[in-house]
Formats: sequence, structure tokens, C-alpha cells
Amino acid sequence: MKQFSLPKITFWRVLGILLIAAGIYSAVYRFVYGLGAATNLSDDVPWGLWIGFDVLSGVGLAGGGFVLCAIVYLFNIQRFKPIVRPAVLTAFLGYIFVNCALILDLGKPLHIWHAMVMWNPHSVLFEVAWCVMLYTTVLALEFSPVVLEKFKFTGLLKVVKAITLPLVLVGVLLSTLHQSSLGSLFLIVPNKLHPFWYSPMLPVFFFLSALAVGAGMTIVESFLSARAFQRALETPLLRELARLMVVVLLVYATAKILDFGHRGVLSMVFNGSLAATLLWIELGLFIVVPVIILSIPRLARNQVGLFVGAVSVVLGFVMNRLNVSVTGMEASLRTGYFPSLMELSITAGLVALGFWIFALAVKYFPVFAEPHDAAAVQIPPALTSTAAPNGIINWPLLLRGSHFAEHRARIEAPYRCSATGLSSPTAQDYEEMIRVTEQMKAVLKQISAQISARDYLNTEARLDQFAAKVRSRIAIHTPKATPTAPAASLAAN
Amino acid sequence: MSYALLIDIDKCDGCGGGDEYECQKACQKLHGLPLVKVEKLTATNYTFSENVAEGIYVRRMCQHCEEPTCVSVCPVGAMEKTVAGPVIYHSDRCLGCRYCVMACPFNVPKYEWSSTSPRVRKCTMCYEERTSKGQPTACADACQAEATVFGERDDLIASALKRLNEDKGYVQKIYGMKEAGGTGVLYISKVPFEKLGFVTTLGYEPLPRKTWNVLSKLPDVVSIGGVMLAGIWWMTKRRDEVKAYEDAQKKK
Repeated sequence: MKQFSLPKITFWRVLGILLIAAGIYSAVYRFVYGLGAATNLSDDVPWGLWIGFDVLSGVGLAGGGFVLCAIVYLFNIQRFKPIVRPAVLTAFLGYIFVNCALILDLGKPLHIWHAMVMWNPHSVLFEVAWCVMLYTTVLALEFSPVVLEKFKFTGLLKVVKAITLPLVLVGVLLSTLHQSSLGSLFLIVPNKLHPFWYSPMLPVFFFLSALAVGAGMTIVESFLSARAFQRALETPLLRELARLMVVVLLVYATAKILDFGHRGVLSMVFNGSLAATLLWIELGLFIVVPVIILSIPRLARNQVGLFVGAVSVVLGFVMNRLNVSVTGMEASLRTGYFPSLMELSITAGLVALGFWIFALAVKYFPVFAEPHDAAAVQIPPALTSTAAPNGIINWPLLLRGSHFAEHRARIEAPYRCSATGLSSPTAQDYEEMIRVTEQMKAVLKQISAQISARDYLNTEARLDQFAAKVRSRIAIHTPKATPTAPAASLAAN
Repeated sequence: MSYALLIDIDKCDGCGGGDEYECQKACQKLHGLPLVKVEKLTATNYTFSENVAEGIYVRRMCQHCEEPTCVSVCPVGAMEKTVAGPVIYHSDRCLGCRYCVMACPFNVPKYEWSSTSPRVRKCTMCYEERTSKGQPTACADACQAEATVFGERDDLIASALKRLNEDKGYVQKIYGMKEAGGTGVLYISKVPFEKLGFVTTLGYEPLPRKTWNVLSKLPDVVSIGGVMLAGIWWMTKRRDEVKAYEDAQKKK
């Protein structure tokens, strides 16, 4: 009998709904009464929160997509494949967020299409507009396999798979262009942007910081997803990303210090002005804190350290974009701009909406499944089951079939008991698990002819890892057993 | 050959500090703007004479630059430097991004924030109504003190240089002759320009060059980058292929 259950009322859900509702109200107000009524923008400060955060930071924070795609598809570092899809989803939603914010910020949003037919190739904004348009399309295409797989449009799926490589290449080029061009926008105001942030190197700084925050945002997103969807964290991969992030940050810091020196503003950094304070906070969050945390092995190995380091990079990045586009502009400092409640609520509402859509996508689409290799042989249906496992362990695809039903049941039995509070797995239970694992490997070998070598080797490796973890549990037997500990190594990422 | 305005700051007395600036009133009348004395540029006021010091007034308005920043930054070309000289605005093209408002080094363009279909507003040198037909601007016509003079840019520069030569009391410089690549509104003054609130740090290079320096290199960046990335893919794929082959060999 199917039970109908209401969605759980959690603090985050309530907050999300409130923010979205407030955002909708503010958006309607903005369109009915105009920008002047809804925002604190003025002729002195024509670009505020929506440009500084929603557009500039939004595009940067969505940079994880091109970084991960480059790593996996161009540099062919296959072990990062499990986190490509969520990164692309984050990027795709990020660009949708940017486009929505643009519709609200433009004075005449109905003219937004003009850039497609009215061209001014001398304008950096023209180039940005085109790159963002094209790249959003690329992201949609890069994400489409997730949707096509769900609805089993195999024909279309093959087409998209075939163009993945050129798509990724174009995507990386487009990203490089517009991430740096968002910085180039400000090359034209040398007299109005504070020397701490104005530099001929703006495009380079914007690009490098986008790389760093792309890695950082992927780490943050992985943590939030692991927590929200009760998934295992791909810590080794994230640690590697963190190391890449640190290297990029150090390159950025070096370039920045040299740039300050060349332009003669190094001494100003210590003059205690408001601008100097803003700069210190920005660089502290963006570079100093993360580099320190992630260079100390004890902290870098710690999951909390990893998360805090990445969050710090994200915060510092946002602050940098705001400093360049809003607070560093002399008129804004002079007039003391602060976003209106409506500006804030629209931004918050869009962010909440983004989180919500991300959660929906994860729930209904194979976002966290590894992209199936087009070259691999199709796994025969008898060996897999597409029904969601209702077991305690998230079994790899190959072990979900009927061949292994009994084995799965025997391994999960001790955990079920401990879940209902009777008794936790004993040493004997663990030894039984190891035996069952060996039996599963035997069965796997028997059907090896019907599956691809890679799938066979991967699954066998997972079983070995599981057995090793169980053996270590026997050695340090603890009274309270959590299913997630050894089972996490079996869980399909 | 393009039209320009020559503003002699020494001759302007703000119309005696009375109820109105003649130039401002003429401009407001021509464009149907509210007839009220305004002390700054706004969406409903395109010019005024700023009282920067005792008895010294400086005309503020769009500078109609030779190589305008606003024209360069507008993604859809809503700002246009006409052949005749004035820089004009096409509201039908504008999408309201306000990059021109942000970028103008003289802080000229103003926005109709209270409108639901806002336009950018600034002086157009009476292009549509007068200068496109060869007539002088409303403000030049209205100025009793002949502080604002309309004419061809080269002629105005020649006459200004003559005046500077005849009267050494003038600062020996025409502001706008070369600043930011040269502007269509030229100033001469007996008081140093730094004291009158003029932007003196602009240099002679037109600002649009700063972005064009970067943009013009992009096709090269894309081409070289594309080849490089494709090459990296090829190398790493080849590395995998070789390794797979060697593994297969070992298994035998």
C-alpha cells in the first residue's frame, strides 16, 4: 500500500520558500514601479548589487563547470568524472541565475535580444553578452545527457556524446574569454576605479580568480550535496582540487603583488584607509586564509578544513568582484551605496531558487551517476536493476542485479539489525561479510564475458576495498557500527 | 570637419547669478524639459553653469568627445558619434545596461530611474533640431556674454589660440583640444583648470583604446588557445591509448 507523506518541514525549506516569495514580490514591484523605486541605484552608482554580485560573482562562481570539464575531457584525468555532472549542473544553474538577474537589472529587458542583431564589436559588454549567450547554450548541451539518460532518448544521447569534445573545447574557450572580459569591462574607467583594483592586468586577474573559485565552488557544492543528499564525500578528489586552487591562488597573489609594485601602489596598502581595509579583508579571505589552511597537512586532510578553506575563497572572490564593480568606484564610496531590501530579496530569492532546482534535479535525474562511457558495452538488463535500491548500501550498478540479490541481503542483514536497535554487527558478522564478498567476486568473474573490462575491474576493486575496510573493522571493533563506514567504499559515487 | 562649442570661462558670469542660466533655459525650452533652474546634470537637465568659485562659472555638459567612451562601450550601438560631430542617443536600440553611465569619464549620461521604460539623457548638441541643419545650438544662440560659441572645431581652435596669444592672462591651453583624444566642447580659462573641477588626469589617449587593446587580441587568443587545448587532448588521449596497449601486451 503506497503511503502518501508530506514533505518534511525543515528550517531551510521554510527559509527558501520565504526568500523566493519575497523575491517574486520584489520582482513584480521592480517591473511595475521601475528601477528607481525598487533599487538604491542612481546616476552616481549605476551598477550595484545585481551587477556586482548576481552577474559578476555569479559568472565566476559558475566557473567550476569549465574547470572540471577541462580536467576530465581535455586533460583526460578520468578520476574526476564523478564530480563533472554536479559541477556542470551548478554552472548551468549559475548562468540561468545570471540571465535572470540581468532581465531584472536591465532598464529595458525586452530589448535584451538587441545584442544579437545590433552589433558593436568595440564594446567589451557586447563580447561578454555573446559569450554568455553561447556558453549558456554549451552548458545546456553539456548537461543534456543527464536528462536524455533519464528519458532514454538514446539516439539524441549518442549525438550529444559525439560532440562532447568539441563542446568542451568551445566551452573552455568561451569561459576564458568572458571570465577575463568581465574584468576588461573596467579597463575603461582608470579615473573612477580605485588604483587597488584598477589595473591593465584586470582581465588576467579575473581569469585566474575564476579558475580558483571554480575549484573552490566545486568543493563547496560537493560538501553541501553530501550533506543534503546523504552521499559520501569524494574527499581525495576534492583535496586534489584544493591543491590546484592553492597553486592558482599563489600565482594570482604573485601577479597582484608585482602589479601593485609596477604601478606604485604598494605603499598605499598600509595607509589604513577604508579602501585599504576592504583590500585586506578581500585578500585575506581570498588568498591568505585558504592558502594557510590548505597548506597545513593536518588541516587540509580534515574535511572541515577543506570546506572552510573553499568557503573562504568563495567569500573573498565575491568581495573582489564587489570591490571592483561597486565599492572601488569612487562615486560609490563617496555616496555610500548599499543595496535596497528589494535588491537583496531578489538576489536571495534567485539563490534560493537555484538551490531548490539543484535539489530537484538531483532527486529526479542521474546527476551523481558517473557518465556512462559510450565505448562500453551496454550492460545486459539481467545484470542490473534500475529500481532504486531500498537497501542500506548504495550498491554499484553491476551488483544490483538478481545474481547478487542473496549476497546483498546477507551483507546488509547485520546493519538492518543495528538500525532497528537490536544488536550491532559482531566480528563474526564481519567475517561472514568478507566471505560473501569473495563469493560475489566469483559470480562477477563468471559473468565477466558479458560486461566491459572497465566495469568488471571497477566493481572488483570496490569489492576489494569493502573487504579491506571490513577487515580493519574487525581489528578495531567498535560497539556502534555505522553502515556508512565500510559501505561508503562500495557506494557508487 | 565637425561642429564644436568653445566655452570661454572668463566671459561666463552665470548670467549674473540670477533666476536662470540663459543657456540652460534655451536648452530646456527646445527639449521640452521643465523650466526650472538646476545646479547639476540630471535626466531632465542637460546643462548648467557651475559656480566653482567667486564669480567663476564653468559650463557643464556632454563633451561630445572625438572618440567617445560612451559610443565605444554601448553593446548595441545606441550612442553614435555623428559625422557632423555631436554624440547622439538612440533610445530604440538601448537596453538599459547603463555601461555608458558607468564609463563616461566626465560623468555626463544620466538615467531616467523613475521610468518603467527608462532612457539615457544628455546634451545632443541640438543635433536633430538644429545642428544637423547647420544651425547653431540653442545655448550658443542664447548666450548673451558670447561665452559659448558654436562653430567648426578647427575654426574654434584657431580663434581660441588667437585669443590665448593676444591675452596672456589666459592659461595657455585649450582644455579639450587633446584630452581623452580631444573633445567637441573646448574650454579656455584664466584660472588653472585643476582649480575648476576639470579632470586633469585623463591623458591624451582616448579611453576606448584601453579596451580595444584587449579586444583586438581576442581572435588570436581564441585561435592559439583552441589549438593548444586540442593538442593537450590529443596528447593525453594518446597517452591513454599507449598505456592500454601496453597493459594488454603485459596480460598476454
